[in-house]
Order: sequence, then structure tokens, then C-alpha cells
Amino acid sequence: MVGMEAYVILSAVLFVLGAMGVMMRRNAILVFMSVELMLNAANLALVAFSRQWSGVDGQVFVFFVITVAAAEVAVGLALIVTIFRTKQSINIDVLHQMEG
Amino acid sequence: MIDVPSFAELNLEVALPGIFLALFTTVLLIVDLFIPKDRKITTAHLTIGALVVAFVLNLPAFNAGETAMNEMFIADAFAGFVNMIVITGAIITVLLSVDYMKRSGIEHGEFYSLLLFSVSGIMFMGSANDLIVVFIALELLSIPLYVMAALRHDDVKSEESGIKYFILGAFASAFFVYGAALIYGATGTTNLPEIFRAIAGADGIVATENSAMIYLVIGAAMVIVALGFKVAAVPFHMWTPDVYEGAPTPVTAFMSVGAKAGGFAGLLRVMIIGLPLLVVNFGDAVETMAIGETITVPSAWQTALWLIAAATMIFGNFIAISQTNVKRMLAYSSIAHAGYILMAVAAVGTVQITKVAENDYTMVAVYAESALNGALVYLLAYTFTNLGAFAVVMSLENNDGSGTMLDDFNGLSKRHPLTAAMMAFFMLSLIGVPTTAGFIGKFLIFDAAIQAGLIPLTIIGVLTSAVSAYYYVRIIVNMYLKDAAVTDEAVGLTPYVNYATIVAFAGTLIFGLFPMLALDLLASSGAQIATLLF
Amino acid sequence: MTFGDFTPEAFAFGFFTILTLGGAFGVVGSRNLVRSAVWLMVSLFGIAGFFVLLSAPFLAAVQVLVYIGAIGILITFAIMLTRSMTNLKERFNKQWWLAALAALTAFLLLMVTVIVPTWGEMGAEEIPPTVASTAQLGEAFFSGWGYVLPLEVASLLLTAAMIGAIVIAREDD
Repeated sequence: MVGMEAYVILSAVLFVLGAMGVMMRRNAILVFMSVELMLNAANLALVAFSRQWSGVDGQVFVFFVITVAAAEVAVGLALIVTIFRTKQSINIDVLHQMEG
Repeated sequence: MIDVPSFAELNLEVALPGIFLALFTTVLLIVDLFIPKDRKITTAHLTIGALVVAFVLNLPAFNAGETAMNEMFIADAFAGFVNMIVITGAIITVLLSVDYMKRSGIEHGEFYSLLLFSVSGIMFMGSANDLIVVFIALELLSIPLYVMAALRHDDVKSEESGIKYFILGAFASAFFVYGAALIYGATGTTNLPEIFRAIAGADGIVATENSAMIYLVIGAAMVIVALGFKVAAVPFHMWTPDVYEGAPTPVTAFMSVGAKAGGFAGLLRVMIIGLPLLVVNFGDAVETMAIGETITVPSAWQTALWLIAAATMIFGNFIAISQTNVKRMLAYSSIAHAGYILMAVAAVGTVQITKVAENDYTMVAVYAESALNGALVYLLAYTFTNLGAFAVVMSLENNDGSGTMLDDFNGLSKRHPLTAAMMAFFMLSLIGVPTTAGFIGKFLIFDAAIQAGLIPLTIIGVLTSAVSAYYYVRIIVNMYLKDAAVTDEAVGLTPYVNYATIVAFAGTLIFGLFPMLALDLLASSGAQIATLLF
Repeated sequence: MTFGDFTPEAFAFGFFTILTLGGAFGVVGSRNLVRSAVWLMVSLFGIAGFFVLLSAPFLAAVQVLVYIGAIGILITFAIMLTRSMTNLKERFNKQWWLAALAALTAFLLLMVTVIVPTWGEMGAEEIPPTVASTAQLGEAFFSGWGYVLPLEVASLLLTAAMIGAIVIAREDD
């Protein structure tokens, strides 16, 4: 039997990997894909906890997360494509935008 | 079997303002198709009408103190007050948008629908009683804002502002979901009052020797990070200046008050209803307490919020000093103001423990009520004041987005005396000078923080307020003591913008002179929360 | 069929772990956007596998259909529409080492604070063998209108997103 902690560790690793992707990559689409990884890490944790509590609340939450992800992808990719049309580049420096 | 309850069991009438606005928005999408392109002002009028109706519907639901839709929704004074703030803010925003959208060539009927979607998201956020609802409402308030920020197609800055806001917003959402997952993992429920009960435990005191505790602490931290992004708290503020500068000004104005109100509504809901008693380290005092004795301890997240609030106030105010673009300056000032409200949230985290009998304790977040009142009144004052300031900035803004530099305010008192006088009043309110609404908000928050024993934080708050006077007064000096190099007409000073400025001015003045108006509305909120929980 | 402690479930867990984490590393490290997208789908597929292991078969199906099917394809489309960007010269931004350091610190912190104290305690707990069937999930959603509010708000959200995407994408006329 694979224990609960294995799932929690795995989701934590996946979440941190996604967060690293968001902070390290420059390309907007890649940053967005890393956000999807983070959301999936959260989904994994939710389903695992749902199993642990023998309830369905966690699974229902995952449904809503997937819905939200779909909505985000629609708006986000539209934005990315539009900005590419005007700028011919979709590089962002999320942490590098301070102008003081 | 599927059990279908009667309509009455859902208790929909207490959720009427939100439901009405959401329904109206979808209808407006269709109605707008039949409004000719040169008469989009009708859409704006319909929007204002709907907002006024929602405001009226909000009045009977105000003090219902009831839950609806299977405990997912709660209508209490807190929800009613948040609704009031955001509806008023939205009305002013629509007034600001009408001419601005037209003269910058981005007049779309969908703009108003998107605005209303965002408003209903904030309203559901204020009434959320479940982590799932908080999450979905957070998205409903954010996604339209990403679009609205990028509305100026001709301007790369606006598109960049939309995409930056989107990426950091999505990043923050992921944090929220993971935090909510950990809280669910620790307590087995997503319902906020049930989370509270699960934490408080059977004997009235939280079990700290528990692995679930660690999940809770990290979960709470992640929720704070996520909502910290939404309210632009340091160090999660990096999107704010660019987004505020790039977005169309009415959208910036709405973002600075609406998204902030929504973020704080969510934060307060989660912290006050769900996690106020999350105490990790009781120290030795609890063991040696005599029966009947009372001690206060900080909750696990208070120190974190303390640091964030202090950093936000210091950073926001000091960087604002060096700004020459007023729109950007207001962005940093909006960061700073988030710090003051965070101070109130931190004040909630002071927990009082009383030993009733052997092995029987009670834990109460005693300052939740005064902190909540402070935060809400501050939000109300900030909404009026900041929207007013943005209205004035907008009236000076040219069609291409220029004209918002500090020097553009030179000699405004001679060209437009009334506008200049109102701007001066807004600036005084942002500093927190008595007779303005801003003073009442600051006073209540400092008071709550001192009661909760956060003396150093209060001192930082007072000192940074004094610093902020420097850059706010500079605008007044420019308007009254300097002469203008150019005397071109303020193109944005249209009747609608004037109405917006006057409404904002009236709000700032009235709540400054008669703070009891707001406090009476809130009088029952703390008691309600207390009866719900204990 | 067991090989000592090495049960089929443990084998499946290991397999999906490799898929998920390998895919994630691929997304974060790849130089080519299209490859990143494919790695993302591999990773999402691994997650779907975990859903099956955690007896959430319906969610696994949704994961494959919506996440890999719809979202994955949308991302691929976006990459194609911005195709001059597929080969990236600069992989990371200028602060990548700072970000990596921060993330690693956070990770170690997470490991030390979450895992170490919970390992023995929770690992000893057996996961309850309940299977939430699709029917149960449906009932949870609709019986007694349990989730009527989030469902309705989610539908509003989808409407708003659709309108928003149209507003952004359409040419000004």
C-alpha cells in the first residue's frame, strides 16, 4: 500500500517544480504551462486528501479547479497571441519589471 | 437518490443582490447587441441602473445573518458592507468610463458586462462561506480584470499590463488552491465555520502536537501569499506599478479599489472565520495558568502578517516619493494603503485564552470585531477617496494616455478651481487628515492594532503616514503654488467625470464628518460573527 | 501477485511518478516550446494515472479529456500561432539562479517541516479503501443542491472568460 505521505511529497515536488518554472522561464507560454503544473500538483493533493477523509469534497474541488483552468487558458492564450501580434515577442521578465 | 429540495430551502432571497447582478449581466450581453454602436451610452445607463437596483436589494439582505445555498453563502453585515463598497465603487467607475472609453477609441458594450462580472465576483467573495466559493469568486473577479487591463489594443503598454496581471494572477491562484488543499487535508472540510470548529477542537484548545497543524500553517501561509498578490502587498506587489500604469485609467481605478476590496474580503473571511485560533506555540504560560486566569497569545500567522504589513507600508510610501507620473504614484500609494488594512488583519491574530476549569479552556479572537470594523471602514474611505483621485487624474489625461505627470498639475487651481479643491481634499484624505474619511479609517485601524498589542506596527503606521504626506502634499503645492507652462484644456473634464468626482467627494466628506453612519451599519457584524462561531 | 513489499500498486505509483516528474522537468527545462507542450501532456497523463490509483476514475477521465485534450491542444495552438518563438535562445530569465535558490530553499523547508514529522505517523495509517463512484460524485454535486452556488458562479466565470477572449482577440473595426 502506498501511503498518504507519498502523494503529499509528490504533489509538493510537482508544485515546487512548477513554481520554479514560473520564476525561471522567460517565455509567457512556458510560464503558463508551469502554472498548469502547479494547479495539477494541488489537484493531486486534493484527490489524495479526499481519499484520506473518505469524502468527495476534495474531488468536487478538483472539478472546479479544472473549470477555472479552462477559463484561464482561454483568456491567457488570447492575451499571449495578441501581444505576439503587436510585439513579435512573448518574453516576460516577471521579476525584472521594477522601475523604481 | 438525488434529493431535490424546495426552492425555499435554498434561501435565495438573502443572496438576491448578487444573483440579480449576475443575471442582469448575462441579459445585458444580449441587449447590448441591439444597441447601435454610436449609442453605447445606453449600455452605461443600464449598467448604472442595475447597480442602483442591486444597492437597494442589498439593504434588506444586509443584516439577515443567514446562510444560504447549503452553507456556501452567508449574508451578514460584513457581506452587506462589502457589497455596498463595491457597488458604489462600480457606479463611480462606470461614470468615469463613459467618456474615457469613447475618446480613447475602445468603446465596447462588453466592457460594462465584464465590469459587472467582476463586481458580482467581489460580491460573492464577500459572502463566501466555503473555500471553494472563495476560489471561484476570486477567479470571477480576476479574469474580467485581465481582459479589461488589456483593452487598449493600440497600446503595447496596455496589452503588457494585461498579460503581466494575468500571469501573476494565475500564479497566485495556484498558491490559493494548494493552500486550500492543505487546509482541507488537515481538517477534512472546506466549509469555513467547520474548519474553525475542527481547529478549535473538542476541549476548546488547539492540539499543537499534531501533524495536521503543519498542513494548516503552510496552508494558511499559501492563502496569505495568494491573496497578498491580489491586494498588492509587499513582496507580492511587483505587478502593481506596471499594470496600473498600462491599463486604461478607469480600469486602474476599479482595480485599485475593487480587486483590493475583493482580496481583503477573502482574506478576512478565511482568517477571521476559518483560522483565527491557529496557535502553534502557547509557551509555558498555559500550563501554569490558574483557573479563571486570562492570557493573550499571537496566532501562527500574526507574525507573518505583521512583517508583510510593515514592509508594505514602508516600501509603498517610500517608493511613491520618487514617482513623477501620478498614475504610478497612486499605484505605489495603493500598495501602501494595503499595508494599513493588513495591519487590521494582523490585529485579528491576537488570541485570548481563558482557563475555565481544569483541562477546559476557551479561546477567543477578541479583537476580531474592532479590527474588522477598521478594515471595512478603511476600505470604504479608500474607495471614495482613491476613485476621486483617479477621476481628477483622468480629467487631465490626454487621449493618448499622456498628461498624467506631476507637472501637468501645475496651476490647476487657476484653470479649474473646483476640481483642484476636490483633488486637494482627496489628497488630505489619503494622508488621513481629520474631517476626511481617510482619517476615520486610519484611526479605527490604529486603535484596533493598539488594543491587540501591536504597538511597534502602529508606530510604523503613524510614521509612514507622515512620510506619505510628503508626496500627497506635493500635488497640492503644484496645483496651488506653481504656474502652468501650458494652458491646454483638460480634455477629460466632461460632465460624467465631474459627476464621478462629486460623488466621490461627497462620500469622502460625509463619512469623514459623520463616521457613525458607517459604524452603525457595522455595529452588528462582530456580534454576528461571534454568534455564528461560538 | 506480490514481490515481497513490492506490490503492483507500488509499481504503478513509481511508474506514474516517473511520468509526472519527468514530464514536469521536461516542461521546465526544455529549449523547444513544442517539446515542452508534449512534456506537459505526459505529466498531466501521469496525474490522471494517480487519480485512478486514488480511486477517482471519473476525474481521471476528465483529466484526460479536458486537461490533455482541450487545454493541451489550446496550448499547442498558441505555440503554433506564435511559432517564431519555438526555439528559445535564452532559456531562462536573468534571475534564474535566484529563483532556483528561492524555490529550492522553499522546497527543503517544505520537506523538513511537512515530511519529517508526518512520515511515521501518517504513513502508518492505511488509506481507507472507499471508492467514490461516479454516481456518488454526481449525487454530491446535485443532491440537495449541495454545490449549486459554486456551479452557478463557475458558469458565470466561463461566460466571462469566453466574452473576454472574444474581446481580446477581435480586430477593431
